[in-house]
Amino acid sequence: MATVTVLRNPGMAATLDEYDAGSSYCELLGSPDNPNQELTKLWHRLQQMELTDLAARAKDAERELFMLGITFTVYSDRNAIDRILPFDVIPRVIPSKDWALIEAGIKQRVKALNLFIWDTYHDRHIFKDGTLPTDLVFGNVNFRKEMVDYDPPGGTYIHVAGTDIIRDENGRFLVLEDNSRTPSGVSYVVENRHLIQRAFPDLMEGFAIEPVSDYGLQLANKLGEVAPPVLSDAQIVLLSPGVFNSAYFEHIFLAREMGVPLVEGRDLFVENDRVFMKTVAGPTPVHVIYRRLNDDFLDPECFNKESMLGVPGLMRAVRAGNVTLANAVGTGIADDKAVYAYVPRIIRYYLDEEPILPNVETYICREPRALAYTLDNLDKLVVKPVGESGGYGICVGPKATKAEIDECRDRLKKDPSNYIAQPMINLSVCPTLVGDAVEPRHVDLRPFAVTGRETWVMPGGLTRVALPKGSIVVNSSQGGGTKDTWVLKGDGIARGNGR
Amino acid sequence: MTTTLLSRHAECAFWLARYLERAESMARILEAHSSFQRGRSDGQNWAWIIALYSDQENFAKKFPETSAKNVISYYVTQLDNPSSIQASIRSARENARALRPLISTDMWTQLNDFYNRILGLGEGDFSENRLSRSCDTIKRGCYAEIGVAESTLYRDESWPFFRLGLFIERADQTSRLLDVQFAQRAVGVATNIPEQQVALWNALLRSASAYHSFRRAHHRGLDPADVARFLIFDTRLPRSIAFCAGEIQRMVSQLRGEFRLRNAQRAFERVESFQADLQKAVRNEGLLDGLHGFNDWVQSELMQLTSELGTAFFGHLHETASPEIEPTPTPPPGISNGAQSQSSQSGQIQSQS
Repeated sequence: MATVTVLRNPGMAATLDEYDAGSSYCELLGSPDNPNQELTKLWHRLQQMELTDLAARAKDAERELFMLGITFTVYSDRNAIDRILPFDVIPRVIPSKDWALIEAGIKQRVKALNLFIWDTYHDRHIFKDGTLPTDLVFGNVNFRKEMVDYDPPGGTYIHVAGTDIIRDENGRFLVLEDNSRTPSGVSYVVENRHLIQRAFPDLMEGFAIEPVSDYGLQLANKLGEVAPPVLSDAQIVLLSPGVFNSAYFEHIFLAREMGVPLVEGRDLFVENDRVFMKTVAGPTPVHVIYRRLNDDFLDPECFNKESMLGVPGLMRAVRAGNVTLANAVGTGIADDKAVYAYVPRIIRYYLDEEPILPNVETYICREPRALAYTLDNLDKLVVKPVGESGGYGICVGPKATKAEIDECRDRLKKDPSNYIAQPMINLSVCPTLVGDAVEPRHVDLRPFAVTGRETWVMPGGLTRVALPKGSIVVNSSQGGGTKDTWVLKGDGIARGNGR
Repeated sequence: MTTTLLSRHAECAFWLARYLERAESMARILEAHSSFQRGRSDGQNWAWIIALYSDQENFAKKFPETSAKNVISYYVTQLDNPSSIQASIRSARENARALRPLISTDMWTQLNDFYNRILGLGEGDFSENRLSRSCDTIKRGCYAEIGVAESTLYRDESWPFFRLGLFIERADQTSRLLDVQFAQRAVGVATNIPEQQVALWNALLRSASAYHSFRRAHHRGLDPADVARFLIFDTRLPRSIAFCAGEIQRMVSQLRGEFRLRNAQRAFERVESFQADLQKAVRNEGLLDGLHGFNDWVQSELMQLTSELGTAFFGHLHETASPEIEPTPTPPPGISNGAQSQSSQSGQIQSQS
C-alpha cells in the first residue's frame, strides 16, 4: 500500500509527489499506463495548496456539516451525531466520457429491472422460459402477491434507484449492488456540493462541473409523470416514518427540495379507495406518495398488522389506480443479492443487449458447484449474506483472521442459499485528507436514477470512502465517509462565464 | 390554490410559538419577582407564584417547602413540570423539529443553539445573584427565535397559527400576572401597606416591560386601577390583553378571508364576542375589585378558543377536546364570579409528547 510523507513543516506547500496509489486505480491520476490527463489541473491545484490550510478549512467544513447534522438529525446530542457521515474535502472527479458510460449503463439496468418486475407480477415469461429459477423470486419474502396483475403508470416500479458501482484495478466500472427499494444518501450529494462551493471555491475555479442541485425539481417532475390522471396538478407527498427514523434528515431535505408536504402515516387516510391528507382546510386528495417507509409498514391491512406508521387501505387505493407509490411495492425482488447475479441475463433477456456495466463475478452459494468453490477459496473471496444491507455480516476473506474464516464457513454450511461470494476487487482509490497528510483511500459510487416515463440519472452520485487505511468497506456504519463527486462537462474546462 | 398545510404542522406552529412565549413569560415573572424581593426583610414570598399558576398540588409532591430555591427550580429546571422554562423550550424544539420541513434553517439553527444553551444551565445559574442574568438570556433567546420567524417564515397558513399561539399565550400570561394580588392573598402574603402596594404594581409593570410605557401614558402616580386598565385595555401595549385580542382577531380573519378556511367561522365568532365583551369591560368601574373573576373569564375564553382551533384545524374530536372545560356563561365582565382559576398552563394540550 502506498505511503505518504506527513508534512511536519506547517509553512511548507503540500507535496503530493509521494502520494502512491499502489496497485489500485486512482480516480485522480488514473493508472501508470493509463494516466488521467484531464485531471492534471486539479492535481496541480492540490499540489499548490498548503496542507495546513487545506486541513484547517476541512475542519471548518466538518464543523459546518456538524451544524448541518444538528440542523437535520433527530438526535442533536453531540454524542449521537455519528449519523452524519464524515466528509472528505478532496473531490472525486469523473470525466465526461466515463460518465456517459455509467449513465447509459444505469439507464439500461433500470429499464431491464422494471421490465423484469413487470414480467414477474404479470406473465412470468422469464421463469416459464427457464431463464431464471422460479424459487429465486416466488419464495422470496420481497415478492408481494398484492402486486400481481397491478399495472403501475408507465410500467415503472423503481422510480428511484441507487446503483452501487465500483472500479477495479484496470479502471473498469462494475456494478456491485442494485438498491431498488428506498435508497438513501442523495441529500449528501447535494449538501456536499454546497459545502465545497462555500468552503473551497478556489478548488472548483475554472472547472465545468455538472450541477446536482436540481435533484428535487427533477424528482418532482418525474413523479408527476407517473401520477394517476387527475384534473388539476397531482399532489405529491413524501411519506416518512417520522422524526425517529435515522434518515429523517433526508426526508426533510427532499420534501423541502421538492416543495411537497412531509407526511407521516397518521396524516393520511383512505376513503373509497382514495388517499387524503388531513390539512387545515380539511381532507385534501393525494396522488403520488414518495414513500421512505418499507413495504412491511405501509399498509396494516396487507402487510405488518402491527404497523402504526402506515396507512390502512393504501394498497386498495394503489390497486384502484388512484394513487402511485414510489417506489412501487414489491421491488425488493430486484435488489436481492441473489437476483443480482442474474441481472446480466435479465438485461439480455428483455433488451437483447449486452450489459453496458458488467457485474462483479458472483458465485451463488445455493448452487452446489459455486458453494464448493466458495468453501475451497474462502481466503480469496468476499462472502455476503443476501438478506443483509449496510455491510453487516460480510466476510472479507483476504483480510479475515482464521477464526473469522472458520466462523464464515460454519454459517455458509448451515444456510448456503443465504450467501453469495465474489472475488475481492481491488477498489479504486482517491486522494483523501487523513490527519495532516493526503493518502489513498478506497471509494465506491452510488449514482441516483430517477424514472417516471423516462430515466434521468443525476450527474455524479454519492462517493463513499472507506476511511480506515486499507479498508474496502465503505458503508457509513463501518467507518465510511463521503466526498463531493464532480462530473465534468465536456473537457471539464469552464469557458466564458459558464459554470 | 389548494392548502397543503397539514393539521399536525399547524398545531406544531401554534405550540412552537406558545412554548416560546411561555418560557419568556416565566423568565419575566421570576426576574420581576426577584427584583421586587430585593431589599425586603420578609423573605419567603415565592409561594404566590405557585398560586398564580395553580400549581400548589404538583409542587407539594416535589418539594416540602416553598423556598426561593425550590420555586425557582420548579419553574426553571424541572423537566417534568411542563410549564418550567427548560421544559417549555424543549417542547418548543420538539414542535420545531416536526415542523422542520416548513421552517427556515435559520429558525431551526437558532432554536437548537438556544436549546443547547438553556438546557446546559444548572442550578447555579439560577442562584439569587445570577437569576436576573439567566432570565435575561432566556428572554433574548425567545425574542431572537420569534424575530427569525418574523423575518424568514413563509407567510402561508402556518404564519397565522404561529401568531395565534403567540398571542393566546401572551394574553393568558398577562391575565395571570394581573392576578398577582389574588394569588398573594391566597397564600397570605398580600400586603395592605400602600408603599408596598405601589412597589408591587411597579414590579408588575416592569415584568411586562410596560413601566415606561405606562409612565408615558400616565405622567403621575401609580394607581393600581390605572395599571390594571393599562395592562388590559391599552391597545398600544404589545402585552396588553386588548392588543393580543386584536392580533388574535386579525389572524383568525386572515384564515377565514385570505386563506378561505371555512372552518374558521366559529373561531371567528368566538373572537368577535370576546372582543365585544372586552369593550364592555372598559366601562366597568369596579373592575379592580372583580379582577380575579375577570382574569378567570379571560383565561377561560382563551382556552375555549384554543379548543375551537383544535376541532376546526388540528383534527381534534369535539368530545375529547379539553373535557374539563365547562362552558362558561357569558360573563358580566369584571364581576367576580368566585370561580376557581382553571389551569390551561399544565401543558396537557401538548401537541407533541
